[in-house]
Amino acid sequence: MIIGIVKDWIKSSNKLERLWLLAKIEFKLRYYENKLGLLWALLKPIMDICIYYIAFKVIMKTDIPAFASFLFVGLILWNFFVESTGGTIQILNTKKYLYEYSNMNKIEIYISTLLANSIGFFFNLAMFLIFYNFIESDSIGFQSQNLWIIVLFINLFILSLGMSLILSNIYIIAKDITQIWAVFTSFLFFLSPIFYKLSTFKEALPSFDYGNPIAGIIINARRVMMQGLEPDFRLMIFDFGYAFFLLFLGFVFLNKLGSKAAEKL
Amino acid sequence: MNQEFAIQAKNISKTFHISEDSHNTVKHRLFNIFNPPRSKKVEALKMMNFEVKKGECIGLIGRNGSGKSTLTKILAGVYPTDTGHININGSTLLMNLGVGMSHELTARENVYVSASVLGLKIKEIDEIFDKIIEFAELKEFVDTKIKFYSSGMVARLGFSIAVNAGADIMFLDEIFAVGDMKFQEKAVKVFESSWIEGKTVILVSHSMDTIQKYCQRSAYMKHGKMEFFGETEKAVEMYLADNN
Repeated sequence: MIIGIVKDWIKSSNKLERLWLLAKIEFKLRYYENKLGLLWALLKPIMDICIYYIAFKVIMKTDIPAFASFLFVGLILWNFFVESTGGTIQILNTKKYLYEYSNMNKIEIYISTLLANSIGFFFNLAMFLIFYNFIESDSIGFQSQNLWIIVLFINLFILSLGMSLILSNIYIIAKDITQIWAVFTSFLFFLSPIFYKLSTFKEALPSFDYGNPIAGIIINARRVMMQGLEPDFRLMIFDFGYAFFLLFLGFVFLNKLGSKAAEKL
Repeated sequence: MNQEFAIQAKNISKTFHISEDSHNTVKHRLFNIFNPPRSKKVEALKMMNFEVKKGECIGLIGRNGSGKSTLTKILAGVYPTDTGHININGSTLLMNLGVGMSHELTARENVYVSASVLGLKIKEIDEIFDKIIEFAELKEFVDTKIKFYSSGMVARLGFSIAVNAGADIMFLDEIFAVGDMKFQEKAVKVFESSWIEGKTVILVSHSMDTIQKYCQRSAYMKHGKMEFFGETEKAVEMYLADNN
């Protein structure tokens, strides 16, 4: 019966179509406008990997096995988070044309932009799978545990959506949230186990894997993609908790501040 | 709500707070905690009540700064109202020199986005796409970004989307000022055809001829107050008297 109701809703509503249409256009605007095109979506993480590889493997001689893949999976998750939060702070300003003339629900603007980012993410994830399984020498190959990445990504999506809602609505009343968030992001970047060994990270910052909502997602992604393990469910529940809490806060902000976007921006 | 009405507005009002020095950064706010920004209150709309029936064409007249555009924006759901509440029965479209178009997108993309925002499905847009482009006379420029268009071309595209995609309730803010004479004639023809039948239209215009021709009832506004809402003849009379 529930499926029937959902089917009817999809048939009579154009909401899903619209989300997909907006996401496709957003994606196209971001990548096909540039000379490098979609290549840039791939080039960015590869260049990041090179930098950290040289710094941590070549110079600092870290002993993490399969270090390039270790960085790869951490960075694509991190980049999605940064693009979807810092990259969307001004979304109510740039996408003003969508809500200025009609009573379209603003949440659709957020979801479609994050969907566009998701296309980029899955493209990179496919590249990671190819790299890890066919090029990386320390690979353990495909595992059924790999599928957990979808659940982890949903967690990341909700977390990013919540953060994006909060930041972009604060932007309406305080423009310099952009700079503040940029500083906070780099702080968070160095407090996430993106290039540290997990044991070193845990030793130096005990229980910080529970304090930092993005750290747990990265830790779990490595467990399921590279170690053939199940995700750490306790950590996962914590991270979903963070994500839903921030999403709830985001909705509060959208209702309180977002309704004034058209006149304040 | 009563299905007979398209718009029911109860006790709505709107005041804009315009601050003289804008404290819109965190730094500014911190440094000026004990020195709150001086803000000027502008009562854009004073308490008003009215109802619009489905299928009516309502004229909205008044001098510049009388609150016409603010009222349409509040009714279209773009601005929130300060007091009271508004019941809207159907999808709305606000049109003043263009319907929500991005200058970064091509005409084709804009047509799809705008029409989709107005509630059409992709298949339905496919069907009316050629009609929209033809009406806007933009056949050679379909895949050009509209930032390269002239302002007249953008306005024509917006008008064409509005006409062909439409919404249940349309707020048309000075739409006859769009395009060259040939296009204006076309726009008027649309209005005279059956297009507006069954649609609720709020028409903002300074052309009394247009208002008298198409609107059964009209609202006359002065200094944010709705002075009169009723027969068009009387509203126009009051407006003309105010201008002299």
